[in-house]
Amino acid sequence: MKALIRNSIVSAVVCVGLGLGATANAEPSGTFKYAEQVKLITMDPQQQSGSGVPYLRPVYESLFEKAPDGKAVPLLATGYEIDGLNVKIMLRQGISFSNGEAFNAEVAAANINRGVQLAIIEGLKTVESAEAIDDYTFVIKLKEPDPAIIDSLCYTGGMMLAPAAMADPTIDRNPIGTGPYVHSKDQSREGEVQVYTPNPTYWDKEMIGLSRYEVWEIPDDTARLNALKTGQIDAGNWLANPQAAIIDRTAGLKLVRNTGGLNYHVIISDREGTVVPAFADRNVRLAMAHSIDRAAFGKAVLFGLSEDSYQPYAKGSWAYNPDLEGVYAYDVDKAKEYMAKSAFPDGFTFDMPSIPIYQSRLEALAGFFKEIGITMNIAPVEPGTLARRSRTTDFPATNLVWNTNTDPKFLSLRYIYEDAAYNPFKTKPSEELLSLAEAGLQSVETDVRGPIYQKLAAKLAEEAFLIFVANSPILIGASEKTDANPTVVYRYGEDSINLRGLKAND
Amino acid sequence: MLKLIVQRLLALLPLLFIVSVLTFSFTSLLPSDPVDLIIGDTGTEEQYEIVRERLGLNEPIHLRYLQWLGRAVQGDLGSSFFNSVSVMGAVMQRLPVTLSLTAMSALIAIVIGVAAGVAAALRPRSWVDRFATIGATFGQAVPNFWFGLILVAIFAVNLRWFPATGFTPLTESPWEWLRSVILPSIALGTSSSAAIARQVRSAMVGVLQQDYIRAARAQGLSTRRIIFRHALTNALVPVVAVLSFQITVLLGGALIVEQVFAINGLGTLAIAAVRQQDIPLLQGLVLVMVGLVVLVQLATDIIYGLLNPKARPS
Repeated sequence: MKALIRNSIVSAVVCVGLGLGATANAEPSGTFKYAEQVKLITMDPQQQSGSGVPYLRPVYESLFEKAPDGKAVPLLATGYEIDGLNVKIMLRQGISFSNGEAFNAEVAAANINRGVQLAIIEGLKTVESAEAIDDYTFVIKLKEPDPAIIDSLCYTGGMMLAPAAMADPTIDRNPIGTGPYVHSKDQSREGEVQVYTPNPTYWDKEMIGLSRYEVWEIPDDTARLNALKTGQIDAGNWLANPQAAIIDRTAGLKLVRNTGGLNYHVIISDREGTVVPAFADRNVRLAMAHSIDRAAFGKAVLFGLSEDSYQPYAKGSWAYNPDLEGVYAYDVDKAKEYMAKSAFPDGFTFDMPSIPIYQSRLEALAGFFKEIGITMNIAPVEPGTLARRSRTTDFPATNLVWNTNTDPKFLSLRYIYEDAAYNPFKTKPSEELLSLAEAGLQSVETDVRGPIYQKLAAKLAEEAFLIFVANSPILIGASEKTDANPTVVYRYGEDSINLRGLKAND
Repeated sequence: MLKLIVQRLLALLPLLFIVSVLTFSFTSLLPSDPVDLIIGDTGTEEQYEIVRERLGLNEPIHLRYLQWLGRAVQGDLGSSFFNSVSVMGAVMQRLPVTLSLTAMSALIAIVIGVAAGVAAALRPRSWVDRFATIGATFGQAVPNFWFGLILVAIFAVNLRWFPATGFTPLTESPWEWLRSVILPSIALGTSSSAAIARQVRSAMVGVLQQDYIRAARAQGLSTRRIIFRHALTNALVPVVAVLSFQITVLLGGALIVEQVFAINGLGTLAIAAVRQQDIPLLQGLVLVMVGLVVLVQLATDIIYGLLNPKARPS
């Protein structure tokens, strides 16, 4: 982090054409219809806490974006330099927002400061402030070293809003950005479809290929599937559910497994045994890890759309450790041996919080644990409260999903540090784990960080207080025509299509 | 009749008050919290408190209710917790969708129900009667969401006669509007048509055995005239009461059927509001639904009075 890291303008030029594979016609034409599984909550990217990015991408561009290989490349920026806690960002010139306001360093800094002040975006939590140093250069000052800061600026944290939009209390329905499309409030129907039309002031007009882009809000999985089958939509996103499995086996439809996804895992929160003494015994935790038949779990609960998981990252990630594959593979005999070696050979009982969508997952896990004498009581909590309840000492263990596209530094912030969000019993991490977590923050280069986080994943597997179960990739259902459309490029680690250069199927 | 209308409208005010108190209280008692959804999985306790304060959720419940009531009596139902969309705007935007669906379903229910009921009553214990009875049993037993899925599979996905999802406003294209509401309306109206058919059959069988019908026949009046002018008019009196109840059922059923067809009506809005614990939106929706039910009952009383002079208020 001490070193000066420079990212060249040349890479910016390369990447702008990159995404995107193909250039579009000079004359935009046709419509592309995408269906989103979550309802639109807000079009203010800095207040966006969950899914729903496909509603934002047509309008907002971020300072950086992910290239198809997962590396951060400039978009509205042209490059960056990191010097300790200062991140200098150079901006592309000659860009204006769709309302005519100029995009410059002052506006970019104001955007970052607003994001910091709102404090919703996890990726900006290490940012102290931002300040313009000339018309097209600004500096982000960090509170602490953050090798993932540029990565965070590829997503909502780096999306740039027009000054007028930032001052507008109704920004959640009146977005103004620099993107290739503008939101058409008149043509949109609240709660049903959001319509976008070409941005007449866009800085790279060749990349506008559509005369209309629509994002349909269809939360019901079957209704979304029917819309795809009947051609009412061209593509849409799904979780690992029966409808996604139907797409996977239906002729004329294609289920795209995009990079990234969700890793389902069990967290032993009470790993010092304050409430459930057995959890302090590593043999017990290893027994639990070995008792899970991940293949059966994936087939029965995630409809064959997942991969077995033994670590936080999926294959293809720079933080993925291939040596951990099968590290606690399903082996009931081995699990029973670990239980016999533990101080709790006769088993024990504990409570696990559940929300409706995790019920079947937990029932499967309860069955596996029962085999080795552990009784897991499934305790329903109100939907929407699982994350908060998991941050309290209400339960000795919990279960969550982790976005495998998230930078590994967040693994420490969520689970490892003594004050980590999901370490409610404030367990001190082992020295080795702590030093690896700290070492991972000392460089921005993934080539340097990769081996460190691979070691960290191995240490986590050894301590077994995080038991990884299954990775579900990002699933996008597409029609045959969409699948054959060469301009359709799925964004790395997102459930959305890159709109720069996208043309209609016909 | 005017007195009746005024009485009912005046009675609506305390009813809305009681319903609003109950909705506000019950929603606030739920253990889930909209703030959790707003700040997401990575939110901190500090953010949690900031958002709670901003939404006014740290205020005592009675104060929050009184503040809401103060605005509501001025026609301002507030805004959603999650965005700047006004509750009144959101509800009014979706009201025509749900009303379209309910009206078309009621029409289908009345046409099929009355026709089947009359046909069965004219030939009791015949195959027509038995067919109508079996059909009515089937119609009442089949869940409307399941029937909707079957209709979509056959007529939208396979035959492509109708859209599988969505709603087209009447003002945009009357033909597309009809195509968009026909399948959900059939799914929704089938069980009501069964209930109406049973009621019409029962009432018609009774009426056709009355002395005045025999007298009409003896006078040589045509069968059509006897059925439509004399028998059906009287048989419809109890049917109106059933219809009123069925329209209320249809309004409730629309909430589920809207999901199956991805129709953006009050039902879809209500489900989202419940899931998100969006209290202002829930309050607005419940008040509108109660108002609608009361209006349906008022219309029933008026029609009842028109059909049966003895039932008119003195």
